[in-house]
Amino acid sequence: MNYRFNWSVLWSGQSGHWLLQGLLTTLEISALAWVLAVFLGILSGALRTAPFRPLRALATFYVEFFRNVPLLVWMFFWYFGVPPLLPRGVQDWLFGHGLEFWAAMVALGVYHGARFSEVIRSGIQSIPRTQFEASMAMGLTTFQAYRLVILPIAIRLIVPPATNESLNLLKNSSVALTISVAELTFQTRQIETYTAKAIEALTAGTLIYLVLCVSIATVMTRLERRFAIPGMIARVGAG
Amino acid sequence: MKRIVTLALMVVLALSLAAPALAETTLEKINRTGVLTIGTRTGSPPFAYINKNNEWVGFTIDLVDQAVKPALDKKLGKSIKVEKKESTPPTRIPLLSSNAVDLIAGTMTDTPERRQSVDFSITFFLTGAQFLVKKGSPIKSIDDIGGKRIAAQQGSTNAKIIREKVPTAQLREFPDQPSAFQALLQGQVDAYTNDGIQLYGLKAKSPNPEQWDVVGDFYSREPYGMAMRKGEEDFKQVVDSGLKQALESGKYFELYEKWFGPKGEVPYPMTAEVKKFLMSQVGK
Repeated sequence: MNYRFNWSVLWSGQSGHWLLQGLLTTLEISALAWVLAVFLGILSGALRTAPFRPLRALATFYVEFFRNVPLLVWMFFWYFGVPPLLPRGVQDWLFGHGLEFWAAMVALGVYHGARFSEVIRSGIQSIPRTQFEASMAMGLTTFQAYRLVILPIAIRLIVPPATNESLNLLKNSSVALTISVAELTFQTRQIETYTAKAIEALTAGTLIYLVLCVSIATVMTRLERRFAIPGMIARVGAG
Repeated sequence: MKRIVTLALMVVLALSLAAPALAETTLEKINRTGVLTIGTRTGSPPFAYINKNNEWVGFTIDLVDQAVKPALDKKLGKSIKVEKKESTPPTRIPLLSSNAVDLIAGTMTDTPERRQSVDFSITFFLTGAQFLVKKGSPIKSIDDIGGKRIAAQQGSTNAKIIREKVPTAQLREFPDQPSAFQALLQGQVDAYTNDGIQLYGLKAKSPNPEQWDVVGDFYSREPYGMAMRKGEEDFKQVVDSGLKQALESGKYFELYEKWFGPKGEVPYPMTAEVKKFLMSQVGK
């Protein structure tokens, strides 16, 4: 391959600044979307196991509707599809206040919320039914049983799949570039535009994503050990 | 351990044996496969786009078929097949360097930065950046875009110039023309900037062409060239000779008339200055 590498494009000019800015936007959008996704995920995941049919149906509808349409389509939906439904004044205000960012954040959060929901549901369903029955026998209401017994155990159990889902969310934030959010992948392309050095720019992006994801995975493993209930999971207990 | 070392050595040996095959030049590759793979666009009328009959056509594609291909056929002494692949501004240089395509023939501007990574043919089209706005918009030229939301294409030269010349403009960069136009249509942005000819193309293809205006003087000079892998002089020579031949024989102007003439897809009369520039490349 007659390609001449020139790694200095990554720190000369404005490249460093752009990469940093892209990294910050990626972190910002991912963190906000993660909070939204976890909230929606816990809510709908719990509802899907609730002993009340209409609520189960509602949660099932949310999960199946949002997880079965590609994320890219959701990005376009929230950016191009939703604003025309709003009054003109609200639209103009949104257009002037970073609609791109918020549309991408909501798209990412709602989509991954549906996926988190399945993770939470599997966590809840792995808890023996007797735990719930024992809570009831002690006089807790259904809500109290979920809040004080079922969810605290379920959330501990699902740390590994939830970590996986969180990393997916972080990486999927790159899809936001299709609606002009200047996140990390966008900035690596920007560097490519200015320098015509695609391989160098993509390598920088790859390494940053890799470092981010590995760090998050490490922190999550620590958390898993720190909050493990002794005896619940043998492997963690041993660590 | 010994086994691992042996294995590693075998891998190295296999790679070094494979290397000469990779070092094949573009002309050798085309000769061996009988195929010239071009990277072009699907949504840039009238240069390269999918038309109503679902055919992949355009001015640049015609130039490849009727100017570059004959030159290649002659050089290799056999008929070459032209295959098309979609390439966008962010993907075109990587597509070339990975050997996925042999020639970028779309709407790529020849710039000094890009020349460090790829070689360009002679210029086959000359245009400059302008703005597409809704009729009656207060934006009339690059002087009016401060504080306004301006859509541009990711990876294009226009975005770069706007960022440097009018840092107060709020740039919104989209990966392709349809989404940028959609944002303009709905009001997410106030104007869309691209090379003038592309904006005329977009306007002509839109459902209500009379709703739109292309405004402003050229704020950049955009010479389009066909891009190829760097340092392949013999291939570049064939491409250039095909294009030069078309300019000299008048074939080029025939095709120009077909796409940009009064009855063409996008009427865009060629100015005397542009014609003079194009002909200066063949020494006339």
